[in-house]
Amino acid sequence: MKILTRIILPAIVVLLSITFPLFAGPYQQSIAKTIIIYMILALSWNILLKTGQISFGLAGFFGIGAYASVLLSLRLGIPPLLTIIVGGIITAILAAAMGMIILRLRAMYFAITTLALGEIFRVIIHNLPNFAGGAHGLILSSVIFDGNGYFTYWLFLAGAFFSIGLSYFFDKSKFHLALTTIRDNEITAKVRGIDIFKYLLIVFTITAGMQGLAGGLYSQSFGFVTPESSFSGDFILLPIAMALLGGIYTTAGPVVGAIVLGVISEYLKLYIPYGHLVVYGLIIVIVILFMPNGIVGMCSNTFRKVDQFNE
Amino acid sequence: MTKAKRLILLGGIIIFALLIILWRPTILIYGIQRAGLYAAIALPMALVLGIVHIVNLAHGELLMIGAYLTYFVCSTFGMDPLVAMLPVSAVMFLLGMVVYKVTIKHTLKAPELNQLILTFGLAMVFGQSVNLIATSQPRTLSVDYVSTSLTFGKLTFGVYDFIFPVAALIILGGLLFFLRKTRVGKAAQAVGQNPKGAEIVGIDVDKIYLIIFSLSTALVGIMGSLYLTKQSIFPLVGGPYTMKSFALVAMAGIGNLPGVLFASLILGVAETFLLSFKGYGGWSNIVFFAFIIIVILIRSHRGKQI
Amino acid sequence: MKKLVVLVLLLALISVSTVSVFAAGQGETGKDKPIKLGGVWPLSDITGKQGSEAAQQAVDEINAAGGVLGRPLELIILDSEFKPEKGAAAIERLATVENVDIFLGGMASSVHLGQIPILKKYKKLTVWTGAASHLAEEAIGEDADWYFHLHPWDYEQGGSYVDGWKAIVNKYSEIKVDKWFLAYEEGAFGSASFEASKVLFSEMGKFDGESFKSAAAGGGDYKAVLQHAKESNPDIFLWAGYGADALPLLQQSKAVGFEPALYVGAPPGWPADFGNSPLAEDVFLYGMWAPSMNSINPVSKKFYDGFVAKYGTKPATYFAPLSYSAVYLIKDAIERAGSMDTAALIKAMEQSEYKSALGETITFKPSKIIKHQGIEGQKILQWQNGRQEIIWPFDFSTASPVYPFPGWDNR
Repeated sequence: MKILTRIILPAIVVLLSITFPLFAGPYQQSIAKTIIIYMILALSWNILLKTGQISFGLAGFFGIGAYASVLLSLRLGIPPLLTIIVGGIITAILAAAMGMIILRLRAMYFAITTLALGEIFRVIIHNLPNFAGGAHGLILSSVIFDGNGYFTYWLFLAGAFFSIGLSYFFDKSKFHLALTTIRDNEITAKVRGIDIFKYLLIVFTITAGMQGLAGGLYSQSFGFVTPESSFSGDFILLPIAMALLGGIYTTAGPVVGAIVLGVISEYLKLYIPYGHLVVYGLIIVIVILFMPNGIVGMCSNTFRKVDQFNE
Repeated sequence: MTKAKRLILLGGIIIFALLIILWRPTILIYGIQRAGLYAAIALPMALVLGIVHIVNLAHGELLMIGAYLTYFVCSTFGMDPLVAMLPVSAVMFLLGMVVYKVTIKHTLKAPELNQLILTFGLAMVFGQSVNLIATSQPRTLSVDYVSTSLTFGKLTFGVYDFIFPVAALIILGGLLFFLRKTRVGKAAQAVGQNPKGAEIVGIDVDKIYLIIFSLSTALVGIMGSLYLTKQSIFPLVGGPYTMKSFALVAMAGIGNLPGVLFASLILGVAETFLLSFKGYGGWSNIVFFAFIIIVILIRSHRGKQI
Repeated sequence: MKKLVVLVLLLALISVSTVSVFAAGQGETGKDKPIKLGGVWPLSDITGKQGSEAAQQAVDEINAAGGVLGRPLELIILDSEFKPEKGAAAIERLATVENVDIFLGGMASSVHLGQIPILKKYKKLTVWTGAASHLAEEAIGEDADWYFHLHPWDYEQGGSYVDGWKAIVNKYSEIKVDKWFLAYEEGAFGSASFEASKVLFSEMGKFDGESFKSAAAGGGDYKAVLQHAKESNPDIFLWAGYGADALPLLQQSKAVGFEPALYVGAPPGWPADFGNSPLAEDVFLYGMWAPSMNSINPVSKKFYDGFVAKYGTKPATYFAPLSYSAVYLIKDAIERAGSMDTAALIKAMEQSEYKSALGETITFKPSKIIKHQGIEGQKILQWQNGRQEIIWPFDFSTASPVYPFPGWDNR
């Protein structure tokens, strides 16, 4: 069982994902790119969750990254690929600055503060007509790679692999132990000598950078930003739902959740054009009720039972 | 806060209020009316959050359902919305019971996040179902008395909107009485503070949760009826109020019901203050969220730091 | 046990979804290969819902009359879900999986911005009924021969209002428009109205304005703006927002004691029962169509009666007759071209002269950047006795204006 799940299955998935554009048309690639965006957001949210902090700032950092990337392209003429990376870094730096002040908060107070910050970013951008296009937004003269489907897809895939890698790193490294301890009991963590604040700051900064990166990918591949679409609340709740449905605290969870919900939502809208969102909401409710540990959580429980049975 | 500090704060507030009344009284009038609306909608969420400890992301959608039910009753039977509030609140109470028993009850043992996403799913189901049935075209109920106004010299202002702060005060008063003086209410407070302890003492925690959730749903349904009198309704009208209520409850502190009123007042007046300056309306959106961050940060500073 | 059942069902759903996402589109049925039209609308919104329904109605009418070039039309409708990435994916699907020949649809500008790069990839004939933002026009660019835009651009709408008011003031000398106040919602729609109006109307008189948060975005409190409007004492008060703002604005105007001589509203659509309110009487509005057009325009009547018969509700916004017109424009162009070759279709489309349900005979002229702009402005209407009557252009008018706006107490 272990060889199957740990090595063969991931290898097949990786191979399929890289060769995807060779057997899938532009429509499927388009869906894949959307799934990857949400996947990166779900993964980044999940990483911070491991420290016990719930963030609602996803949309805010996503929007900052999107705008940063577009502004760097428009105002400074920096090549698109670079703007995505620099946009992510700018977002991370901004997050670090905010984090110094707000990371002392816990639980829902932290969550509401991150939400409020995201909204503040959006309103500021909205009120800057000359610098940031104000209510109308900004457009790029061309999209990245001039719209070449293959390159754009592989760029997105690279973003996905990077995010999965980061998540895996946080799973396996000494970070993992530190973060889990912080989440379980901060007093114990302190006693063990773990500098909670430093860890939280590092994780918060990196995950915000991931969200900014996703924003840059989005804005460069579609070629525009607007306050409403770049800071949309969908970028908060949908990734969280995906991470939960997939299974939180694992790396596979957000990946699975993003793919499952992304594919299902597309399918539903093809067959239930007027009203598919009702069914989508129902699916979320039902899965949460019956699979509280998410899909991955349930599967690993099942496999464990099978393993125990086999012993 | 020490008594001296309290007196100084009170004095400052009174002076501030007097200044405003002399300079631009509409700020205080509209600020209070606005605050009333926010508070009346946020109080039911504070109730649920304080006792059942779940964040109900479908809160705004329940407001919307209350409004649509009222619209349906009024346009079919020709009732006045303030009268229709009674049957609507009964229906909403039942709806709350059903929602609790079918969905929320089963996630209470699971991590907090599950409840969050569950209510998110419910919000989607409610909002999109109403959208399917009623379409996204706004509905309005034209009622005469909502535009009643008073004139003092050069100043004309609407008075109907005072119904919202009145409603907020009634709801707050009613809830405080319920929680402190009735048997069920006191049991609910115990459950809110220590569910395990309450269970040991013999309180039926599940029943308390059921009552509280249904009560909250009924209250927010009533607010839906009131909302219909002043605004056009459409399926997604509730969404922004969920976030606003959540923010206000966080600002007041969980379990602090009167605090919700104060928080709403500060925010309502601050927003109206900014709006009174032509051209700065766009920034009034930031006021809301900036205030919340500031208050939360100040409170955390004073509290114990880990 | 229950958990396992749900898991199995979920896995089944995932498998079916994946297969269907990869599957080929709707195949050709019947002996004649249909001409395929692909439409993308926000189906969860009344504008998109009715836009798609009106397009379907046109397609069914045309097929009942024998189709086009002997072949039936087939309309494939996809939901943009108001999200740019979903709108773009819908275009991809229509182009590569369903293999449509022509694109139509449209409402929101931001969604369209996401679709434009994809449309440029395929360069199929596109007849678009949405997207008023000038940013979208910039994104399309001047080389897009295949792009035919029906909805007026934001700056064109402003220009038409200037022409309209000038004409009205000319004809009805008692009407004065020397001082303007525009209350606009703070989003892209309202801001564009304000910016365009400020430039154009300043020549007509003093122009002032202020933004508000639309009820559609969680706002709905206009008292501050109305107070400032009252203080500026304008001859004409306009508001640019959404349907949900219509009645509250009037109610709060009454509460504040604001009674301008001209009260004009410019939402893309109005609430369902707005006409029933006594406050609605004699409110002016900007729009492209109203049911009263039926009395003077046979195409409008045919569309209206057909829509009501087919769907059991009245068309609520102008997006319905606009989509209806788009389909007929396409039909005429195909017949003129005699083939489905894109270059021939484009040439044929350029020769369009379609007497539409909106009143205008639609032809395509260049706008600021693109070559093929269909409708260049909106109309000025007025609510009278619960109906929208057309005041200007005078060629399509169904009533004379009532002036001034009656006081709140005289209703």
